[in-house]
Amino acid sequence: MTLFQKEMVENWRNKKWIWVPLVMIILAIMDPISNYYMPQIIEAVGGLPEGTVFELPDFAPAEVVMMSLAQFSTLGVLIIVLISMGTIAGERKSGISELILVKPVSYINYITAKWAALLILTLVSFFFGMLASWYYINILYGELSFENFLLIVLFYGLWLTFVVTLSIFYNAMIKTPGLVAFLTIFTIMVMRVITQVFHHLLNWSPNNLSNYIFEMLLTESIPSHLVGTASVTIMLSIILLIASIFIFKKKELAN
Amino acid sequence: MQELMESINWAIIAPFIMIQFILLIVAIIDLVKADETRGSKWMWVFIIVFINIVGPVLYFIFGRRRD
Amino acid sequence: MTLLTVKNLTKTYQDKTAVKNINFEFQYGKCIALIGPNGAGKTTILRTLAGLLKPNEGSVTFTNMKPNDDIRKYIGYLPQYPVFYSWMTGLEFLIYSGRLAFLPKMEAKTRAEELLKKVGIYDAKNQRIGKYSGGMKQRLGIAQAIIHKPKLLMLDEPVSSLDPIGRREVLTLMEELKHEMSILFSTHILSDADEISDELLLLHQGEIVEAGSMSELRQKYQTSTIKLQFKENLEGYQSKINALESISNSYMERDVLLVKATDIRLARQEILTTAAQQNWEMTSFTLDRASLEDMFMKVVKNECNG
Repeated sequence: MTLFQKEMVENWRNKKWIWVPLVMIILAIMDPISNYYMPQIIEAVGGLPEGTVFELPDFAPAEVVMMSLAQFSTLGVLIIVLISMGTIAGERKSGISELILVKPVSYINYITAKWAALLILTLVSFFFGMLASWYYINILYGELSFENFLLIVLFYGLWLTFVVTLSIFYNAMIKTPGLVAFLTIFTIMVMRVITQVFHHLLNWSPNNLSNYIFEMLLTESIPSHLVGTASVTIMLSIILLIASIFIFKKKELAN
Repeated sequence: MQELMESINWAIIAPFIMIQFILLIVAIIDLVKADETRGSKWMWVFIIVFINIVGPVLYFIFGRRRD
Repeated sequence: MTLLTVKNLTKTYQDKTAVKNINFEFQYGKCIALIGPNGAGKTTILRTLAGLLKPNEGSVTFTNMKPNDDIRKYIGYLPQYPVFYSWMTGLEFLIYSGRLAFLPKMEAKTRAEELLKKVGIYDAKNQRIGKYSGGMKQRLGIAQAIIHKPKLLMLDEPVSSLDPIGRREVLTLMEELKHEMSILFSTHILSDADEISDELLLLHQGEIVEAGSMSELRQKYQTSTIKLQFKENLEGYQSKINALESISNSYMERDVLLVKATDIRLARQEILTTAAQQNWEMTSFTLDRASLEDMFMKVVKNECNG
């Protein structure tokens, strides 16, 4: 608990608790707003050449949600990876961990405190981002029920949980923050490719979460493979977390 | 341009601009109070002020000295 | 009473052996210095005892330790270059350290304040550690190492990075702490070890080459050198001295004549009586006590030859 409190205080003092939520909100509402004003923007820039027929589609709320999620999947994930890359690796690299880990702290607590603090920051920021996006969708594009909003947050939150856990896993293994960030992103990209290539085999790959969320919004019901994929994501995260603790325990902490 | 300005509902855009502004202010305050940054402080002032949104984020991720 | 027993401790990095077959017993209340040149394995030994490194072979046991007990409860450790959270204040860091060692909240706070006073940085307790000087950080480092009242305090080169004033302050502090707990510290500066330790462990290339108290080692490696100074005509006196029975040889070092003898007591007698009889104009007579440096060189040389 002491370790967790310290993480929370640290993230408050280094202003992560201010800027991460703000940036997540910006990411979430950027597309809904700019797409809404697209016709005016194109006109202001000089309009379309004569004769071009350019029809801007009217977006359905579900499609706009997907735009927000697409931002989280790229820039959002990038930011999460960058803020988490040094959480353990940086402490080991600088040598602070030498003072902390000679105290009788358990390695399980050390890893889980880091993980929990990072996860709460990520999920709360994501929640506020989606809340802002939901608000704009409702006033600009049409109704999206609050229930659906909660389901989106829940299921997509699992994907972000997986990303955070993956970063913690590499943090426990390697003490170079940049390499941690690289490997986390690299792993996510490889997973995406593999999911695409073997799509008929890997129906429940975590990378499919946002596709299934879209399906859920279109069909107005929770598809069974969304539940399956969610379970797989949770399981993978738990396995990664346990593996992180295991690796960290075996490590020689002074090296 | 005139038309664009008129057609925009400012109540919708205002929160977006506010958030950017808060982000910029928080980054500047942090920068001023920081003992040390990676790279010169003046460079970061320019980055934060002139690169919209991305500037403050870059500062928070790469400019702050952690530990 | 034995506090700690180290048996056959061996630590290898990849293919390089850092420390080899270290054995020693640590008695309660002692202050022991690990001495050796850089790279002799001092830090490796301390880190292994602190549990930061895992030995390839051998064991470290505290007396009265329950099986499966976490040895980290009994030790306090200060690394050679301690790094802190610079965003915390000194007080916050000490409370945090105390909490990590399972002190209750209030106790951690009172103990932290007490230690800040003891190490002399109480005035800076609410300053961010980022603003502390090197000496202040070192003292904060000692405070965090003893916050949970460990049985054994381990300090890795506690004074080598400090300026003369900071070094004096830390040595005085260690002198005080000697009365409260056992201390094991490493240094490559022999005079520091000479000053505060009860016992020495001389380390060379990962092995303990000599161990014992200062006086024991002095006796063992006593150099039989007599330093003489004369008003004039050093060469003349040199030949006279060489003629004496007990003198094995002598050489000049600027205006000092260094005399080696097989039996130092006999040599002293002979020189002094002859000097009195012949009315030598001797300005100084010194029996050279073995300095730690000499001793260390000797031990290392023996090791290399043998």
